[in-house]
Amino acid sequence: MTQAEIKLCSLLLQEHFGEIVEKIGVHLIRTGSQPLRVIAHDTRTPLDQVKKALCVLIQHNLVIYQVHKRGMVEYEAQCSRVLRMLRYPRYIYTAKTLYSDTGELIVEELLLNGKMTMSALVKKVADRLTETMEDGKTMDYGEVSSTFVRLADTHFVQRCPLVPATENSDPGPPPPAPTLVISEKDMYLVPKLNLIGKGKRRRSSEDDAIGEPKAKRLKHTTDNKEPIPDDGIYWQANLDRFHQHFRDQAIVSAVANRMDQTSSEIMRTMLRMSEVTTPSGAPFTQPLSSNEIFRSLPVGYNISKQVLDQYLTLLADDPLEFVAKSGDSGGGMYVINLHKVLGSLATATLESVVQERFGSRCARIFRLVLQKKHLEQKQVEDFAMIPAKEAKDMLYKMLSENFILLQEIPKTPDHAPSRTFYLYTVNILSAARMLLHRCYKSIANLIERRQFETKENKRLLEKSQRVEAIIASMQATGAEEAQLQEIEEMITAPERQQLETLKRNVNKLDASEIQVDETIFLLESYIESTVKRQ
Amino acid sequence: MAGNKGRGRAAYTFNIEAVGFSRGEKLPDVALKPPPLFPDTDYKPVPLKTGEGEDYMLALKQELRETVKRMPYFIEPPEEKQDIERYSKRYMKVYKEEWVPDWRRLPREMMPRKKYKKAGPKAKKVNDTGKDTSLTNTVDVLEKIEELEKRGDGEKSDEENEEKEGTKEKSKEGDDDEEDDAAEQEEYDEEEQEEENDYINSYFEDGDDFGADSDDNMDEATY
Repeated sequence: MTQAEIKLCSLLLQEHFGEIVEKIGVHLIRTGSQPLRVIAHDTRTPLDQVKKALCVLIQHNLVIYQVHKRGMVEYEAQCSRVLRMLRYPRYIYTAKTLYSDTGELIVEELLLNGKMTMSALVKKVADRLTETMEDGKTMDYGEVSSTFVRLADTHFVQRCPLVPATENSDPGPPPPAPTLVISEKDMYLVPKLNLIGKGKRRRSSEDDAIGEPKAKRLKHTTDNKEPIPDDGIYWQANLDRFHQHFRDQAIVSAVANRMDQTSSEIMRTMLRMSEVTTPSGAPFTQPLSSNEIFRSLPVGYNISKQVLDQYLTLLADDPLEFVAKSGDSGGGMYVINLHKVLGSLATATLESVVQERFGSRCARIFRLVLQKKHLEQKQVEDFAMIPAKEAKDMLYKMLSENFILLQEIPKTPDHAPSRTFYLYTVNILSAARMLLHRCYKSIANLIERRQFETKENKRLLEKSQRVEAIIASMQATGAEEAQLQEIEEMITAPERQQLETLKRNVNKLDASEIQVDETIFLLESYIESTVKRQ
Repeated sequence: MAGNKGRGRAAYTFNIEAVGFSRGEKLPDVALKPPPLFPDTDYKPVPLKTGEGEDYMLALKQELRETVKRMPYFIEPPEEKQDIERYSKRYMKVYKEEWVPDWRRLPREMMPRKKYKKAGPKAKKVNDTGKDTSLTNTVDVLEKIEELEKRGDGEKSDEENEEKEGTKEKSKEGDDDEEDDAAEQEEYDEEEQEEENDYINSYFEDGDDFGADSDDNMDEATY
């Protein structure tokens, strides 16, 4: 865990769960696993607050616990899971593109609540959908649960580990913490539920008014005392599956950019076929025969078997080696080399970062060193066809920024510089790690800047919110146009301008956060797959 | 250096020309200060991607940021008292839904210990005597002081005793304090006892009837 990552975790926890949870979470990230009392003592937080914070963190799968030999329970933060909070909008958006609004809300609720039972989730989503529909229309529970089943079938949601049913004849005191077990075969098994009903609307718009306790609405949900049919079976969003989807999308668009639309469509088909058969961390997909691929091509995609075979040969011959031929049976067996793909994507990211930071001539040197593996300074100058002095300057700049490494090979054991080869190399893995670290840092900076901007304009923001609230309530009561205008003028022109600038800045910062996270995703996937292979 | 007899050149063991300095050229000054916080960049960043998806994700992100503040998982720090109470503050309060963690999934020590609240004065008395003995028996005075200190600032979280069905829900500001006091008393008794025999006597067997029991808890210990 680097400092930059801890800083980012701290900002994210604070934005999502408030300061207390942030304090406990960051303490756990820094110190590793700790028992409850030690946490309370070290953070100087009242015990009940520590408990609450831990409950929240455990609920959101950000902290796990373990029982130790002497009956102590130790809590451990899942740092990389904390960083995934950055990607929540992207998960939700993906669910929307795949399973429309219902899927979007299901995933959103799961991410907001950490884990939920299916029955509670379906009810909540149906209620929310009903609220957005026109009067008189309601969302049926059955429809929501069928979307849920589809999400489970495609592994986008999965069961949380279960608390095993305890036998009554258990002698001795009960364990200090339950041991959660996960059964592989039930992971995506949806319990048979008989969910009948419709989403309920909040009674009227007045209910929504500020100051009205929501407890009333809650009443009729807690009222019904009937036993919950799927009690204890909790579901969570399967982030790895989402990552697999992101990866596949990246591959498809990379192929589309490199070759053409048809080949990307073939790639998409191959990826879809191996979606469920290939585990998300595997370096290769299962071999697919050209006949199978032909059968699975989307209907209405009119290419003949011959053309398909030509495309497959083309893909397999491509120097990037995204696709490899693994056999000749069944009209030719093909696999996608996922590890290679991620490597190429990470390399392309590095190249473009170098290009945008240092200019195209530096990028030329970078690519040259990348291609030739090891080069002496003189060779770099010659091959890149850049004047020696400038080439040196560029090379040193990239060296000092750690994009390029320097390898010394002494001819004599005394390491005298005059008798030593100095070879420049690019180590993609270490460069990717360095860049990832920078990405974390920049996101932390972006968040801090955004918080600063909002804090600076806090008073103005509050004012505009108040004015908007007044206008809304006046419109509801049917006020005259002139009156409304008068209220609107409470915000002066310069203030309005300031608000607009603020909004533009915040939007830009937020959009940058999301897009830097895309780079983070690519780099992390590459690092993960490389580390696994070593 | 021995080989460098008054030639006026700094002592380098390698050929200075190899790193790009011609003969007689001045070497750059040694940097003694840290680099600037916001250095000039040679290249301006490329504009951000825009599109329907990007816009939607941006809106989602901003909405999400507002939503999490209204979730029961967002724990606000206990407010410091302000000299002047703002009238508008009363209306700015956000009402959060309550959240009942599934205690079966959590370690036992996570449960707030308030099981006796409903048991009435009788149970309380029993506990009080228990407290007395523990008072005399405990050697650890420091522990005691700590507990007392905690009483000062710890129990501000009023969500803990939401009424059933939320009937008395938000009108309880007044009588809440008394209740809280009583509850605190009990809580600390148990804390003491736990110190001694290391298990919580409020714990009940989680057998078949656990489901029913946990239903009861909900009224008392919600987050």
